[in-house]
Amino acid sequence: MLRYNNVRHRLTLWYVGVFGLMLLLFICGATVLEYWQLTRQLYHAEIQDIETAEGLLAFAPDGHLVFHEEYHNHPQSLLLLDRYMEVLTPSGQVLLRNAKLQGQALGGPPFPDEGLASYHERRVRLRDGTRVLLISHIHSIEDRPLLIRLAYSSAPIEQGVLQFVVLLLLAVPPALLFAAVAGYRMARGALQPLQKMALRAETITASDLGQRLPVENPNDELGHMARVFNDLLQRLQNSFEILKRFTADASHELRTPLSSIRSVGEVALQRLHTTEEYRDTIGSMLEEVTRLTEMVDGLLSISRADAGQFVLHRTTFSALELAREVVTLLGLLAEEKGQQIQIKGDADLTVNADRFVLQRGVGNIVENAIKHGPGGSRILILVARTGNYVDISVEDRGETIPEPLREKIFERFFRIDASRSRDAGGSGLGLAIAKWAIEVNGGSVSLRPGQQGGNLFLVRIPAASESPLT
Amino acid sequence: MTTGLNILLVEDERKLAEAVAEGLQGEGYDVTLSPSGEDALSSTRRFHFDLILLDVMLPARSGLDVLGDMRRTGVNAPVLILTSRDSIEDRVLGLDAGADDYLVKPFAFAELLARVRALMRRNLPAAPSSLRIADLTLELDGRTATRGGRKLELTAREFDLLEYLLLNCGSVVSREMLAREVWKQVMRYTPLDNVIDVQITRLRRKLDGDFQKKLLHTVRGVGFVLREDEP
Repeated sequence: MLRYNNVRHRLTLWYVGVFGLMLLLFICGATVLEYWQLTRQLYHAEIQDIETAEGLLAFAPDGHLVFHEEYHNHPQSLLLLDRYMEVLTPSGQVLLRNAKLQGQALGGPPFPDEGLASYHERRVRLRDGTRVLLISHIHSIEDRPLLIRLAYSSAPIEQGVLQFVVLLLLAVPPALLFAAVAGYRMARGALQPLQKMALRAETITASDLGQRLPVENPNDELGHMARVFNDLLQRLQNSFEILKRFTADASHELRTPLSSIRSVGEVALQRLHTTEEYRDTIGSMLEEVTRLTEMVDGLLSISRADAGQFVLHRTTFSALELAREVVTLLGLLAEEKGQQIQIKGDADLTVNADRFVLQRGVGNIVENAIKHGPGGSRILILVARTGNYVDISVEDRGETIPEPLREKIFERFFRIDASRSRDAGGSGLGLAIAKWAIEVNGGSVSLRPGQQGGNLFLVRIPAASESPLT
Repeated sequence: MTTGLNILLVEDERKLAEAVAEGLQGEGYDVTLSPSGEDALSSTRRFHFDLILLDVMLPARSGLDVLGDMRRTGVNAPVLILTSRDSIEDRVLGLDAGADDYLVKPFAFAELLARVRALMRRNLPAAPSSLRIADLTLELDGRTATRGGRKLELTAREFDLLEYLLLNCGSVVSREMLAREVWKQVMRYTPLDNVIDVQITRLRRKLDGDFQKKLLHTVRGVGFVLREDEP
């Protein structure tokens, strides 16, 4: 039993089907043409014959029409034995019927103008069922107009055509078989690389994403597909590595507060303490719980955005105003460090985004700048338009982050200097959350060196349609 | 100290339920524990409650389902929903089902207490025009604060902060509550915790700096409290 759900078989089947259909169409066309040509030839022969016959007709002295049939003896006219002939007056009186007709009428009573202008052709059926091709022509003998009808059976033509068709049809099965074999081999050849790819793909697992599909011809469709799949594998491999690192980091980060809670609790229970000491112990444990909660909350928001489950509540607002809000909120931290935050830009530049989410994103970046900028330094926030985007740049005077780390600092739990940042009280998620909050709003964030040392965080948000071009 | 108010706590997590019940009893409320939705429904049929705390993730039946049944059977006590889901859609679902407020786990106990008090207060007359603790007076209309007859120079934010602490005088408020009520932030926002700490330090300097008796206290791991005696 053939499996038709196999592409090779299906391709072959289609190939054979289309080829067979074309063959049939060709046979039909050829047959019609052959039949038409043979009919034309017969009519042509009849016209010649009718002219000959007219020469052989004469009126006998007694007024009867006579056909000089002795002509039949001529060997060339043997064919004429098959000739049907009838002669009538224009009014329909039968003057002569040849023997071949055996008394049957040839074409019945004449219709008006039959054979008058030229030779009139038609098909008729005799009483005994014989189909004939009939020619009528008016011819005058001794000034009397006579309607002469002459016909031949169409059976030989039909037989000839039938033979022709049978001959052609006999050639069809071998032709189809040949087409099937050729089509199958071609399809198999074309799909061979696909099979190899499938075999290779079956061996690739999550732990073994380094493998790639074989590319036979990089320029054809299958080669293109293999390359696309290989790119996909590369991306998967990258994400898997990030995920692996993230899982390792996350368990480490979650374990740190957990082990603090555990040790603090266990040590407190080792001996009796004063109420004050117990309060302190419990407070310390609660601090770690808060840290854990914050971490889980942050991870949850990011993973929810990753899974596309985050619903944004978009409004249109001024980017400069957002920057001012952030500074109003966090300015106190800068003040404590003696830092100055300067905001510049056009208040008319608007963005269409979720205000709270974006505020959180920009806020985390500003907080980062305050945290890493030296005391007494200046932080510059600039709002400007670039093409279809509104840029909010935050520039600090902290230590410039070297090139290879500029992408990494947006990863979850990434710390340039593990001990330093944890002391500063960070959850290690601030910039990862900032990146999430900005990207979920259709924007992007990147880090570059500041113009006068330090770092410049560039937040790029799609401009609202009504935002003016500057 | 007892308030004479009855609270029904529907929560299947025994440890959490017992801790919350103990905390509420410590504040003078009578608490009835109910481990399942069915049990809670039969309790509400037999007794009157002034407030219902309802967990959403109950065994067998969702808390929202149970809430619907309670409302249909004529229970009109305020309902505070407790859940670990915090998306806005879930909040809307909860409020649609007839809840009066919503609290996301893990919550600070101080926050729970504040919500419970707010729901109980709902029908009480409006807040007074001035607040007082020890020798500190806050005039809400003129927005002035005086301690020991001396006017305190407070920024707008510091005044709001002090007002909120004074409104919850005697109870601990968490940083989360301050972020929402004083800073008006709807989302949890980590850098704000640092801002709050700085702001509290500044307020404390102005409020307690020159006085023997300290009013503003930090409760480690929980938050802040305004009270006369040491916590």
